[in-house]
Amino acid sequence: MPDKADDMRLIDRIASGDADALGELYDRYGRVAFGVLYRMLPGPEAAEEVAQDAFHSVWRQARSYRPERGSVRTWLLAICRNAAIDWRRTRGKRLEREVTIEAAAELLSDARVDERVVSAMRAERVRKMVGELPKEQRDVLALAFWGGYSQSEIAARTDTPLGTVKSRVRLAMNKLRESLEDER
Amino acid sequence: MSQERHPIEGLPAYALGALDKEERAVIAAHIETCDTCAADLAQFEDALYEAAAIGAIDVEPPADLRRRIVLRHRGAAARTATGWGGRVPEFLRRPVPAAIPIALALLLIVAFGVIGATRQQADAYAHALAGVADGRVVALAPTGANPDARAAVVIPTQGSPYLIVRLPAPPAGKAWEAWVLKQGASGPVAVPAGTADRGDVFMLSLTAPLGAGDGVAITLEPASGSAQPTTQPVLAIEKT
Ligand SMILES: [Zn+2]
Repeated sequence: MPDKADDMRLIDRIASGDADALGELYDRYGRVAFGVLYRMLPGPEAAEEVAQDAFHSVWRQARSYRPERGSVRTWLLAICRNAAIDWRRTRGKRLEREVTIEAAAELLSDARVDERVVSAMRAERVRKMVGELPKEQRDVLALAFWGGYSQSEIAARTDTPLGTVKSRVRLAMNKLRESLEDER
Repeated sequence: MSQERHPIEGLPAYALGALDKEERAVIAAHIETCDTCAADLAQFEDALYEAAAIGAIDVEPPADLRRRIVLRHRGAAARTATGWGGRVPEFLRRPVPAAIPIALALLLIVAFGVIGATRQQADAYAHALAGVADGRVVALAPTGANPDARAAVVIPTQGSPYLIVRLPAPPAGKAWEAWVLKQGASGPVAVPAGTADRGDVFMLSLTAPLGAGDGVAITLEPASGSAQPTTQPVLAIEKT
């Protein structure tokens, strides 16, 4: 698990225009970032294209990164997720926008966890908590996170009252947060 | 600003990116001025993206992605080809055709929550990939012929490379044939590397040696196999 202060130094170097620092950031989180994109997009070519866009956003936004608002990894993965949703809305063909719903079906796959980017204990807590969530809550999380759908879109698509979707989101997110509460 | 009511109810959905535009704008503005809510939001996101990192598909990114990212920002012109250009034969570069109505209808059924074979296959494929104990996993790109197809080359630390494939069953009298693409003097040469006459999720051992930098493709061929590809690949990668 890379060190937070090291991450911060990398961001500072990127902000000052050091392209090699961007490469070092890629060494740390490129694989998990690509894995998130690969999950959200129709194939490796799209994931590759969006990964380049996302790292370009990191380059441009490095100055505005605020450590008190979250880790560098979370910041990067959020940039990737937004870039993937953007790609699907603007460049994805209709078929490609829909195909990812299938992939969105579960928040967590049984995919092997890369220990370089996920601290085993944190991951285990989160994994356990997600496993304990009722299926309806997991599905709502997955549709929103991987599918990029809003609560009202999910309500319409799954024929569920909006209020129900909202309370599932709240319950699920609160439990997710609790899973890491001991650390704080 | 921070004296106004904290949007506690909306924060989880905001973290998840699941709010509609107007609601999102209201919360975004509040967060800029309220450290309490900003700290809450950070906790939601921290846990959510921990889950995302677990849920991300663990595949090897393309070999030269890092180099292209660095070069682009070093001011040097990055190579424009995405790894598919240059010496790749024309059949690897055909554009993805528009969705056919039947495929689209199928996907919409999946989208509306009918759990069918497609979902199960996706799970089986994900499980097969997740079961890879060691070595490298390199995904092949689906082409226009079948955008739903998936395959990855597994290159174990010990033992021979093989493919994990998700494809429909081939038509009667046909088989899926794998090819190792070697760089020849005048472009790539496709070496036959095994056939499979089944569909769904399956493994296919590569019967031809896979050298460093070789490509892999899968085409539909007569059941007895072909000496050279006779159709467009359904899946391909220029270099592993
Ligand atoms: Zn507040």
